[in-house]
Amino acid sequence: MIESGEKEKLMELLRERLVECGWKDEMKALCRAYIKKKGTNNVTVDDLVHVITPKGRASIPDSIKTELLLRIRAFLASAAL
Amino acid sequence: MSSKINHHHQNDKTNGQIFPQPCPHLADFHARNGTKPFRAIQDCLHIKPPGGRAAIRRDSSEVPRCGVCGDSSCPRLYACMACAAVSCHVPPHSSHVAIHATKTSSACSHEIAVDVDRAELFCCACRDQVYDRDFDAAVVLAHTTSIIQSSKPENLRKRRRIDYRPWSPDLRERSLMVNNASPIDSMSSSNGDLPRGLRGLNNLGNTCFMNSVLQALFHTPPLRNYFLSDRHNRYYCQSKNGVRLCLACDLDTMFSAIFCGDRMPYSPAKFLYSWWRHASNLASYEQQDAHEFFISMLDGIHEKVEKDQHKPRSQGNGDCCIAHRVFSGILRSDVMCMACGFTSTTFDPCVDFSLDLEPNQGSSMKTSSTKSNHSCNCEADGMNSSQNCGISTLMGCLDRFTRPERLGSDQKFFCQQCQVRQESLKQMSIRKLPLVSCFHIKRFEHSSVRKMSRKVDRYLQFPLSLDMAPYLSSSILRSRFGNRFFPFDGDESNTLNEPSSEFELFAVVTHTGKLDAGHYVTYLRLSNKWYKCDDAWITEVNENTVRAAQGYMMFYVQKMLYYKASEKQGTS
Repeated sequence: MIESGEKEKLMELLRERLVECGWKDEMKALCRAYIKKKGTNNVTVDDLVHVITPKGRASIPDSIKTELLLRIRAFLASAAL
Repeated sequence: MSSKINHHHQNDKTNGQIFPQPCPHLADFHARNGTKPFRAIQDCLHIKPPGGRAAIRRDSSEVPRCGVCGDSSCPRLYACMACAAVSCHVPPHSSHVAIHATKTSSACSHEIAVDVDRAELFCCACRDQVYDRDFDAAVVLAHTTSIIQSSKPENLRKRRRIDYRPWSPDLRERSLMVNNASPIDSMSSSNGDLPRGLRGLNNLGNTCFMNSVLQALFHTPPLRNYFLSDRHNRYYCQSKNGVRLCLACDLDTMFSAIFCGDRMPYSPAKFLYSWWRHASNLASYEQQDAHEFFISMLDGIHEKVEKDQHKPRSQGNGDCCIAHRVFSGILRSDVMCMACGFTSTTFDPCVDFSLDLEPNQGSSMKTSSTKSNHSCNCEADGMNSSQNCGISTLMGCLDRFTRPERLGSDQKFFCQQCQVRQESLKQMSIRKLPLVSCFHIKRFEHSSVRKMSRKVDRYLQFPLSLDMAPYLSSSILRSRFGNRFFPFDGDESNTLNEPSSEFELFAVVTHTGKLDAGHYVTYLRLSNKWYKCDDAWITEVNENTVRAAQGYMMFYVQKMLYYKASEKQGTS
């Protein structure tokens, strides 16, 4: 799926959907709050990723999950032919 | 747990941007690799459509894999700047890139790497993202090499500025002023509670569309100052030789009448006649559109000036006439080809912002769209809770205005790089803010398909203070390119010269009623009090009345030109 470039396309679609529904803004706000709490010089990218990832995964709307799953399934089905 | 390494990056402020000092490893990298350490990377920078993000690839179809574990699916893959080895970084499980970094030899250090999907620098030793001006310049260059702009568009050239020289009157000038001026009546209580410059306008037959806009213009600070300080003198005006009419002169007459202190309602009959002569297609006693009148009036003031050969014609600078000096801004339009990433940019002047109301996202549509599904809880998460609860706001409309919009397959744009028509992404942003921003809400929809028109009554929430910074080209572009230093357009965004982006509301034109049978009313904000101007009747009202009104045109002036709460009558 990666080699055909399909993953890239799906990633782009996912990004678009996540921006549309406000998820990206939500994550941005969470990151800002975390950085503010810890102090700007005391946070690394790894920290942020580690802290935000579980929250991010949990707050993705079901409709987006469904849509992506359907598309992946469709691709796999067509690739198997 | 990933190790937290505390490093104190000293921040150095230049041009309003914060430049963190490089970490010791980055500085070392620079020292070892000469003046253009990122030169090799430039050839590998590919802009990946349709999103347009910069990625590092040796050839555009390469699929990067971790050199150690062969994994190509992990979210963060880094390429070492020294030897181009790709490694993955998945803390806390494994970090092959950290292991790679330990291979420091005397010839080169492998501590600096670049994220292959995001084109961002990473220091493996510090385990954190680092920023470098040269690298970011290379990324920006990869995005913009396609924009062929040999010379800056005319309306962006910086205007000559005159040095400020303080002045105080000498004896002769002082006596001149005293003898030729009359003091503003200090017994303001005799005038009632109303501040100076408030005077009703008689309705001459469905002319509330004109009255409402005129009231807003009378209290537009730069415009008011211009006319009251005699910058356009109706007695000496050249344009009016004989029969020819000058809308600016008629406006000057009205300013004098409005601010003279007489409280009896004024009839702008002469102005109406002049305007009819100018906009003959709108000359009738039928109700007209206030916004259309506004545009036509600005055009009328400008037109008279164009006859003068000495004045420049460009509108973007605002040098042509007072109307453009006050209201004219510059819009930037970027169209990006979805196939190759080539971006075409144009700049156009504008005198106002016409905004669409957001499509209905009220409570009746809860189940269908993802947006309402996710965020109708109105949780105070520090987010824009009003947007999530289904209320349209002015900032929401501006967000829509500057959002990237996919041009449909029937609107394919000719891409200069591909040499064919391709589907594209269009994004608007504001290159230069006007002194006064007029926001026009498109409430009257005319559908040529269905041969009918309708009015959109949906309530729009608007703020008293507005910061336009997020809608500026600099902000929009910054968010498009990600987290980088951004030398903007070759035109240094020196914060001293650029006017600020903060605006204050001073007038609201509202419309009530139906499309063909409605009424316009203007609310004015003077000395932090609100006044309702309904044709000939002026009354003071509560701020909440204004907030609840149906805004059709909102006028905001740059904060530095706006004098806020001042109780003294003479200073409003």
